[in-house]
Amino acid sequence: MPRTRVGVFVCHCGNNIGGVVRVPEVVEYARTLPNVVYAEDNLYTCSEEGLSSIREQIREQALNRVVVASCTPRTHEPLFQSTCEEAGLNKYLFEFVNIREHCAWVHMHDPARATEKAKELVRMGVAKACYLEPQEEFESEVFPAALVIGGGMAGMTAALALANQGIKVHLVERGPHLGGLVRTVQTLFPTEQATAEVVHPLIARVSAHSEITLHLESEVEDAAGFIGDFDVSIRSNGELQDLKVGTIIVATGAEELRPVGLYRYSELPNVVTQLEFEEKFKTGAELPDSVVMINCVGARVPERTYCGRFCCSTAIKNAIWLKEQNPQTNVYILHRDVMAYGVDIEKFYRRAMELGVRFVRYDLESPPVVLGEGRAEAVRVQHQLMGRELDLPADLVVLTTPLVPREDNERLAQLLKVPLGGEGFFLEAHLKLRPIEFATDGVYVCGSARYPSNIPESVSQAYAAAAKASIPIGEGLVRVAAITAVCDERACSACGNCVEVCPFGAIELREGRFGKSAYVNTAQCKGCGCCVAACPSGAMQQRGFDDRQLLCMIGALAEEMTDGTAAP
Amino acid sequence: MNNGGVLVVGGGIAGIQAAIDLANMGLQVYLVERTPSIGGRMAQLDKTFPTNDCSMCILAPKMIECASHQNVQLLTYSEVEDVSGGPGHFSVTVRKKPRYVDVTRCTGCGDCVEKCPRRVYDEFNVGLGKRKAIYLPFPQAVPRKVTIDAESCLYLTKGRCRVCEETCQAGAINFEPQEEMLELEVGAIVLATGFDPFDPTALEEYGYGRIENVITGLEYERLISASGPTEGHLKRPSDGKVPERIAFIQCVGSRDVNYKAYCSSVCCMHATKEAILANEHYPGLKSFIFYTDMRAVGKQFQEYLIRAREEYDVTYVRSRPGKITVDEETGNPIVWYDATVVKEAGDPVRRVTSMEVDLVVLCQALVPHGFHVEIAEKLGLTLDEGGFIAIQDKLLRPVDTTVPGIFACGFCQGPQDIPDSVVQASATAARVAESLTPLKEELEHA
Amino acid sequence: MAQQPPESGGNGFEPRILVFACNWCSYAGADLAGVSRLQMPASCRVVRVMCSARVRPEFVISALCKGLDGVLILGCHPGECHYSEGNYFTRRRGLLLRKLLEYVGIEPERFQVRWVSASEGAKFAETVEQVTEQIKALGPNRPGIGLSTDPTRR
Repeated sequence: MPRTRVGVFVCHCGNNIGGVVRVPEVVEYARTLPNVVYAEDNLYTCSEEGLSSIREQIREQALNRVVVASCTPRTHEPLFQSTCEEAGLNKYLFEFVNIREHCAWVHMHDPARATEKAKELVRMGVAKACYLEPQEEFESEVFPAALVIGGGMAGMTAALALANQGIKVHLVERGPHLGGLVRTVQTLFPTEQATAEVVHPLIARVSAHSEITLHLESEVEDAAGFIGDFDVSIRSNGELQDLKVGTIIVATGAEELRPVGLYRYSELPNVVTQLEFEEKFKTGAELPDSVVMINCVGARVPERTYCGRFCCSTAIKNAIWLKEQNPQTNVYILHRDVMAYGVDIEKFYRRAMELGVRFVRYDLESPPVVLGEGRAEAVRVQHQLMGRELDLPADLVVLTTPLVPREDNERLAQLLKVPLGGEGFFLEAHLKLRPIEFATDGVYVCGSARYPSNIPESVSQAYAAAAKASIPIGEGLVRVAAITAVCDERACSACGNCVEVCPFGAIELREGRFGKSAYVNTAQCKGCGCCVAACPSGAMQQRGFDDRQLLCMIGALAEEMTDGTAAP
Repeated sequence: MNNGGVLVVGGGIAGIQAAIDLANMGLQVYLVERTPSIGGRMAQLDKTFPTNDCSMCILAPKMIECASHQNVQLLTYSEVEDVSGGPGHFSVTVRKKPRYVDVTRCTGCGDCVEKCPRRVYDEFNVGLGKRKAIYLPFPQAVPRKVTIDAESCLYLTKGRCRVCEETCQAGAINFEPQEEMLELEVGAIVLATGFDPFDPTALEEYGYGRIENVITGLEYERLISASGPTEGHLKRPSDGKVPERIAFIQCVGSRDVNYKAYCSSVCCMHATKEAILANEHYPGLKSFIFYTDMRAVGKQFQEYLIRAREEYDVTYVRSRPGKITVDEETGNPIVWYDATVVKEAGDPVRRVTSMEVDLVVLCQALVPHGFHVEIAEKLGLTLDEGGFIAIQDKLLRPVDTTVPGIFACGFCQGPQDIPDSVVQASATAARVAESLTPLKEELEHA
Repeated sequence: MAQQPPESGGNGFEPRILVFACNWCSYAGADLAGVSRLQMPASCRVVRVMCSARVRPEFVISALCKGLDGVLILGCHPGECHYSEGNYFTRRRGLLLRKLLEYVGIEPERFQVRWVSASEGAKFAETVEQVTEQIKALGPNRPGIGLSTDPTRR
């Protein structure tokens, strides 16, 4: 076993470090440290000169560990790591010591202490470096196919986007037709096109595409695996089919809330939802003379706090349609804020007002009351702005309800090991910057399964999900930085602490050579180290940050704390 | 797949995300950004709604990932000069403006900035505080290289000084270079040029520019930022006093046929966030948000409003104030309004009334970026009536512009928040990939 | 060059404090403090970990037993952990560990858990100042205190 041979490179960074820390002294000191066979200083270690020197010394001095003391690893670690690789040294045998941001720059008026601190930091870095081990980055093959669950606008768009890149797609839809929720809508916002005009060609393209395997009247029965290697069972017409895919997109959509118990919905025949309105009246039924729409039914209430996002758009769309069929129709929209955000919806709102649609603002605490026996005849509303009560004549009452999560979201979430949010929709990895990814790698979400979204938004999300889902397939490999956790089966007592604390579900207990023990799926491991700290026996360790490495840094720092004798 | 490469114009969060996704797909990406650093508007924010994440904390890793990706070539301080050709084969000329700094030598240490004697308008801090003629736009700038602003530099304008050159240990200052023109061949173009705040000076009734303690939303953001000109201390302009009462005025220039008819989409949430931050920094501080419709339509947005009301002393008043005057002695702005929802006014009779506050924040309209019209012309793109990049097929191809091979994401094509912009950015990546894959049996026009 | 231990309690005691900082937030905050040239006492030695949850109680105990004057764990603000839950574990462990330290006779103030985000350079500097002052007031730690066996032997 070759002796550890550490090379230390201390940077002046021009004046930045050198102007405060006495760099030559630090180099001298480094030479006295155990296992250090070479040390030098550089004006700029990250310059071509500095990097050449590192490469040269690795070869000349047969260095098998390199320590650079300069700025911050957050910007420069990859550079020095690849320099080591170029000289034939495994990049995980490199250690970075920060003596600029953490030392020279913050102790500018105390060069003596800054120099002592720099020496100690180098001592700690060298101690850790001695215990570093070469690592190979884990590579796992990605099966070149994707699964899209749900055949609505989002699902179809995602499937086509993938297929058009030449990727095989399995599109699973539980119903007998493609189309999803949009099948019940007659005209679309904001272009006012007929659904059939837009959706039927899309369905035709999906059905005809050679790369798309369509599974209608099918559901996901079981799923296991990880990014690149998912095993999924589909039940179609009673038969089970096993599929292997590399990535999965959840596009299962949502359902319109049927407001049972609200505004006499189930009681009176002429109180309907917006979708029911579309289905009945845009297909030829006689139009009413006076329509009152009530918004925020079952939304933005204590029992369901979220906003349905595009229900105001839907109400406005249908109100405009009514007015265009017959300008004499009385149309009222009762609302608690008109969510006409952006350019197009605000424009439609303005148009609705110009066409004579009356908007009446009401209060959550004084909701409208539907009046009538046997049939709705009027709606009594406290007009919040006028400060008085109005009775609006109504031949038809349309309740604007939000989309709600599908009941089987929970089952699917469990199968795919992805979370649901408080409202019951699928919960993405990060609300701001990772809105269509899950914390679990290789699974993505788009459309109203994630949160009520109108068509342009659902379609954008679907394209985005397809982009993400195509990347691992395009690369063919999943590569994981070698800072993942690994369990020593012999020391593991299968207590299960690690399984519980892992935020990514990357650990499971399984039977091995030494009985039951924890097993880390490297492809899913993110290298946080939660499991390591939770392990009572020390069986679980983290590459590059294992207990021995960190403890010896502590030891190295403390070692000359006493009167020169060794630590207790 | 044709790897002629992709041009991404604009280095804000949308451009950054698009670049990362395209690079991960194996495509060569040229990310052109007009200012010296990528980061865009998100770098100017303190926190982001509704999570109240520290904006820079979540942005910085993406900036670094983008800049260090082997398939991304960052062209900062550069502009698109000319474009010709068609989908699959665009010829682009990019003008790299001279930084007068050798980026291969500059280590971003900042010594030159300290010594530079010339102080000028700081764009990043929207005029609050000043920057130097040689500068890093903000501490976490990527790339971390200084830039000399030729119009402010004493040497470049008057032939004096050169202190930066003397100070630089790495010998990175170089007053010689001419600007560089790059010719690129790309297969597709992604536009992500973002937005500018609308200048509310035109709305004289609100007194912006006349009343010191009337500021804009973006100025407020810089004041409350820990890395801003007042280190996060909310010091009002006239006397540096911390306000006890703040009025936020929504729809300044938005939803207004005299200025911008559209809704800027994010301001309701933005104001709520600012009010929450104010109370967090200064318990007891009361905020009043004057709104028309509270548009909180995204995930967890309604819950954010509820928290604002219940935990952070935020009162919502439904009104579009008619004017703002000032108490000359104290500098306190006075907001004149008619509370349309009587209950919110706490007054049984609806009337025009006034409220004296310590600070007024105008949540101004957000408009497509200033030079957006120029870029649209160069690319042959149509603009819609709001001035945004027109989208050919909003339902099925929501990121495709009217020119094949050119896609647009983020605010440049419509008012939207960060998650929506990030989604659109990834969506353009999918569309680019599709457009560069040889078509097999796809029916373009069904 | 061996350091002589400073006289206990008197003027001139400069504490040595071990700081664990998480890669995504607090280490970046420390970097920002550096970039902003915020000056602070030279008491702290930062060890980088990916997540504050990586820190085992035995690291803290080992450091204090070997005579380091204080240990500080810095992580992302609750709710902002890059790995979603790590800092919650840190917080819980921190509370229990303080009780244990008290029990074995080590002043619990020698060990603290704080939250510093990547944009809080000033907060990092403040934290270093504050913790240094607090530990200065306690005086130097005594090596070998609390435990008779070296917990680091395997």
